Amino acid sequence: MSRSLRQIRALVRKDLWLEMRTRDTVVAMGLFVVIAMVILQFGFGTRETDLTRFAGGLLWVPITFAAVLGVGRSYVAEREQRVLDGLLVAPTSRFAMLIARAISITGYLLVVELVAIPLLGVFFVRGPYWGSVGWIALAALLADVAIGVLGTLVASMAVFTRARELVMPVIFLPLLLPVVVAAAGATHAVVGGHDMTSYTRYCVFLVGFSVLFALVAFATYEAVFDD
Amino acid sequence: MADGELVALVGPNGAGKTTLLRMLATLHRPQTGRLTVFGHELPSRVDQVRAKIGYLGHDPLVYLDLTPWQNLRLFADLYGVDWNRSAIEDLLDRVGLLPRAYDVVRTFSRGMVQRLGVARMLLHDPQLLLLDEPYAGLDAPGATLLDAVIAEGRTAVIVTHDVNWAAHHATRMMVLRGGRVVDTLVVADATDPDAIVSRYRELVA
Repeated sequence: MSRSLRQIRALVRKDLWLEMRTRDTVVAMGLFVVIAMVILQFGFGTRETDLTRFAGGLLWVPITFAAVLGVGRSYVAEREQRVLDGLLVAPTSRFAMLIARAISITGYLLVVELVAIPLLGVFFVRGPYWGSVGWIALAALLADVAIGVLGTLVASMAVFTRARELVMPVIFLPLLLPVVVAAAGATHAVVGGHDMTSYTRYCVFLVGFSVLFALVAFATYEAVFDD
Repeated sequence: MADGELVALVGPNGAGKTTLLRMLATLHRPQTGRLTVFGHELPSRVDQVRAKIGYLGHDPLVYLDLTPWQNLRLFADLYGVDWNRSAIEDLLDRVGLLPRAYDVVRTFSRGMVQRLGVARMLLHDPQLLLLDEPYAGLDAPGATLLDAVIAEGRTAVIVTHDVNWAAHHATRMMVLRGGRVVDTLVVADATDPDAIVSRYRELVA
């Protein structure tokens, strides 16, 4: 196994160990999504209301804010336990650090969506839904990768800034907008009918977005950590 | 620096001791000038340099929510060390933490955490030790351990406020003030450590 792959595996495993020990991030994100969807359900009125045409937004607005929460908690352990220097003084590939963090964030989002996607069907969609869940999950996976890559890049820059709690959402949310639009569009395309042409177009966009920001990360990773 | 030298960076607060050490550790880039470590002018071949450095700062640089075993396994992978359970346990035994190898670090005393930091520093058998006030927070067993590590004769740079210690243990004392080296005192040949201490006090007065 190459050195970078070994480092990525070690860093992802470390995030998993920390999350299993503290249960800070995923539980907070999951609770946030559930509470937000419950509030939305009450906000829109009775359960008899069919909100199928809003399904994309009703799923992805809570997930987007949960992602901000999760990405904002990136590097909290390193910052609070003052261990970032330990990672940086080791011959750790900075790109491996970014990739590992992106994998962790993507994993957190996938766990949250295990709850959120079924809730969408239970709370908001009155028509046929469960046959679309596989397609929604695929779009969610692509969106999660995009969020993971972008979120890691922003979080890695924010970790060295003083007003990081402010910087994170102010920079992250506007950049995330295209992902939310595409993910919500893909969800709407399969929930409100089977418009696979639109669905495919949105998914291709999500892949392109991930590739674009992965290239940006690759071009800037040294500067992010070492300058 | 020659192999086996122990250089002490001394000086008043704000002199630049820690900044210089962090530059040597590749954690800061110098704004001017050149920095050559192991024959490589940084930042070229920085990973090769990092692989040979053992750094212990004010903080032990370990995860408090992991166990010592998990911490050392993580850093073994980051340093590319071929590890096995017994090798890590041997190292933990050396720093006196084997009985607590699978307990969460957060439950440890400050001295125990600092000893784990020493284990992390030694994990990859570094050729150069960079130590920033390493005795701060160490308990008695930890101080004895660090004495033994330093006595092994590894090349080391140590930031310390304890000029007496430096005058007795270092080979050279580099006196910094206002971000500049104002003098280098050769301690190894000195017959009177007290004279070294007096000279230091004159320099920083």
